[in-house]
Amino acid sequence: MKPLNRTIIGGLIFLAVGLPFLQLVIWSFSNRWFYPGLLPQLWGWRAWHYIFDTAGAQIVGAIGQSLAVATVTAVIALLIGLPAGRALGLYAFKGKDVISVILILPVIVPPLCVSMGLHHWFIRLGLAESFSGVVLVHLTFCLPYTVFVLWGVFSNYNPEFEDQARSLGASTTGIVLRVMLPMTLPGLVVAALFSFLLSWSQYLATLIIGGGKITTLPIILFALMTSGDRPVAAAVSLVFVAPAFLALLFSARYMGRQSMAGIW
Amino acid sequence: MGDLVLEKLSIRYGRRPVIAEFSLRVADGEMVSILGPSGAGKTTILKAVAGLIEPVSGDIRLDGKSLAGVPPDKRNTIMVFQKPLLFPFMNVEQNIAFGLRMKGMAQRQVRRAVEDILALTQLAGLDKRKVHELSGGQQQRVSLARALVLKPAVLLLDEPLSNLDANLRQQMRELIQEIQQKTRVTTLFVTHDQSEALIMSHRVTLLLDGRLRQVGRPQDLYHHPVDPDVARFFGGTNFFEGRFKDGFLHTGFGVFELPAVNGNGLPLTATIRPEDILISVTSDFELEGQVERAHFEGMATRLWVKCPGGHLVVLAGRGEFFPGQTVRLRLPAERIRVFPPGAVEPV
Repeated sequence: MKPLNRTIIGGLIFLAVGLPFLQLVIWSFSNRWFYPGLLPQLWGWRAWHYIFDTAGAQIVGAIGQSLAVATVTAVIALLIGLPAGRALGLYAFKGKDVISVILILPVIVPPLCVSMGLHHWFIRLGLAESFSGVVLVHLTFCLPYTVFVLWGVFSNYNPEFEDQARSLGASTTGIVLRVMLPMTLPGLVVAALFSFLLSWSQYLATLIIGGGKITTLPIILFALMTSGDRPVAAAVSLVFVAPAFLALLFSARYMGRQSMAGIW
Repeated sequence: MGDLVLEKLSIRYGRRPVIAEFSLRVADGEMVSILGPSGAGKTTILKAVAGLIEPVSGDIRLDGKSLAGVPPDKRNTIMVFQKPLLFPFMNVEQNIAFGLRMKGMAQRQVRRAVEDILALTQLAGLDKRKVHELSGGQQQRVSLARALVLKPAVLLLDEPLSNLDANLRQQMRELIQEIQQKTRVTTLFVTHDQSEALIMSHRVTLLLDGRLRQVGRPQDLYHHPVDPDVARFFGGTNFFEGRFKDGFLHTGFGVFELPAVNGNGLPLTATIRPEDILISVTSDFELEGQVERAHFEGMATRLWVKCPGGHLVVLAGRGEFFPGQTVRLRLPAERIRVFPPGAVEPV
């Protein structure tokens, strides 16, 4: 493609992604913004002040809670997804199709149904309104994605590398640490980010299973949105989107210039 | 030392038998090739020696000690795969040093060992290169260097030349031979290319349908195949029926005086290599025939000749031949190889 075309298309993409964000940024810095003003009548730090001062403890607590839930979910999803993806990607066995259907079920069935159904059981098992209950319900959505991503990763993985390493004197631990993990790392990072972000943005399942006890960032965000204070909601949205944005930058950087070549 | 003995090795994949009762001895410093068509189970044998597959029965011994139950990393037998399989996240030096680091060797010694092996495999100066910056031939040499640097007792090479083009293949072949002579490492080498096996090895093992058919010097397999299948694998095309009686072999192409063979009076199969048949237009050779097809192959012309007793394929080094031409042939008796009864019938 010619450089000029590339610049134009890049600019359009940037506008499409950037404009809604610009709107959010402006909202978060407005103290008063009424129709028909194109820009706020009064600029100010009120929303940010509210987030970091007035409701600071609550928001920081929610960020901590969200980070904890999303991290634990991503780690568990990876720990289960890695061997599962490896088995599905590398070996041929009966019932592989059935497994893929079962895996995709929680994704097809609306989250509300899944969460409601699980809620009943979680109450019985004493998992409702607990951290582990929320992590478990998040796993029902994150695990299928993780397994699918790692299934793909291991479909393109040549296990002969492991045989070669073994023949060169590597132990099983050596093979996992020095061969398998480095070879599949980009895929692992993508899978982990996927489940982290999925868990980070869960609202309904957290609300139902957490029962208000586990207040993650989306729970606070929804409360603020419904309260009608737009500048504050915009500021919280920006805080909410920050890890996703950082994760995207990190992964793009990590994946190397090759994958970035299409972006810049 | 690297005195390798495979004794009645049988290997299965699931229920499917791949190798049946395969026995072979490779002396210290010897280079032996396992030759056979694709799917004959050649690689499987190497994997069993490397410890990557457990044989169902039989034993593998290195310097007299059984390797049964010994894990691959403790065997001192190193396999180089058909593909270079260089770790893409490491550079050339790190790839070569992989095995040494796994052994826990000190940095300085690793550096020295890698430098030596880079020189030996003609890779000097490429140590900091990334794997994807190397040509196919260089990648294969790094793969070889990565195995050699560990100074294995037995080196197992799985068709290391098959991914290279003709030119590179010859260079690599010469390099492997040179290194083998220098290091005297016992080498078991798998190939499906008969010329490669003949050129490179001290001894050749022919594997057909998971069974060892013949083992011996390259000349033995080429000139004295034990059965028609072996002869066919080495390019034999002329198989004919005959009957041996009182020192003479009676065939459709004439009567030949031969040293006695088993099976006096019984129908036998005989063969003669295409290049051993003498052909001429002018001389008084006893057999007359007509050229049906002529394929020019560069070094020689391959001729399909119809004779009263049947068809013969002849490789003529000199002279112009064309279809329809009448030619005279001689089958030198000393070049005819007779298979005793019981050897597999020709197809």
